[in-house]
Amino acid sequence: MIGLGALILAFLGYQLVGTNFLTARSQDLAQQTVEEHFVAAQEEIEVVDTLPSSPVDDNGTTQQYPPADEPPVVHYREPKPEDGQAFGVMTIPKIEAEQVLFEGVDRATLKKGPGHMPWTPLPGQPGNAVVSGHRTTYGAPFFDLDQLQPGDEIYVETALGTHTYVVRDSFIVTPTAVEVTDPKRGAWLTLTTCNPKFSARERLIISAELVDGPNFAYALAEREFVPAAAS
Amino acid sequence: MRRLFAGLPGPPALRVVIVVAALVVALIALFFLFEWAGDVLDTGGVVGPA
Repeated sequence: MIGLGALILAFLGYQLVGTNFLTARSQDLAQQTVEEHFVAAQEEIEVVDTLPSSPVDDNGTTQQYPPADEPPVVHYREPKPEDGQAFGVMTIPKIEAEQVLFEGVDRATLKKGPGHMPWTPLPGQPGNAVVSGHRTTYGAPFFDLDQLQPGDEIYVETALGTHTYVVRDSFIVTPTAVEVTDPKRGAWLTLTTCNPKFSARERLIISAELVDGPNFAYALAEREFVPAAAS
Repeated sequence: MRRLFAGLPGPPALRVVIVVAALVVALIALFFLFEWAGDVLDTGGVVGPA
């Protein structure tokens, strides 16, 4: 009985304390590599699209956007990071969180910090960028995510610049609710983590909308004027 | 514990090696057990098929 108790204590100690040290070290190392990534990736930023010369709205009506006397709306894209690579820094002032983001959501990557689902757009790009992170182990980057409320800001710095998001919604789903990763019009950031704390029974979802950044005007124009099927 | 040590084959030096090797194997097994069981507390928050 004593042995079993010691084993459980050792397990909890390793998961709730020991793993935090591993992640803290990974985050420290990544602070430097992410800066190097920014420098390298900034040379490969490309203009993907200028929107739109003669867009149509949802009713099929041709619009002039932007107005003729304003510069075109540009969609910038940065190179896709390699699997496991540090590519951005996410700051959430409300919960005093600052985390280096990594590409991928496999077990090894999530031990280093929050991971970006590779099959979704990068943060700052039009669509629905999804980032997952641990709630109670491995640095617990999303421990206080439940404190976020509509209106709270989230900043993501990538090679392209700083992207500002505002929380629009938070809700709880089952672990298999893949619909939260579906594409969306405009530019969105979806954060996912385990819920409740110390359990993987559910997922807490934070949905935030891009309100400023290099691609904000493009995302806004696309949301307003380009039919969803074409986006 | 001493009786267990004494029951091991070979000279004392070999017994120490056996004990150390057994401890290393046990620690590695414990690590993987903890990693596997850690998913009960926190899987990393990914949504997707079970």
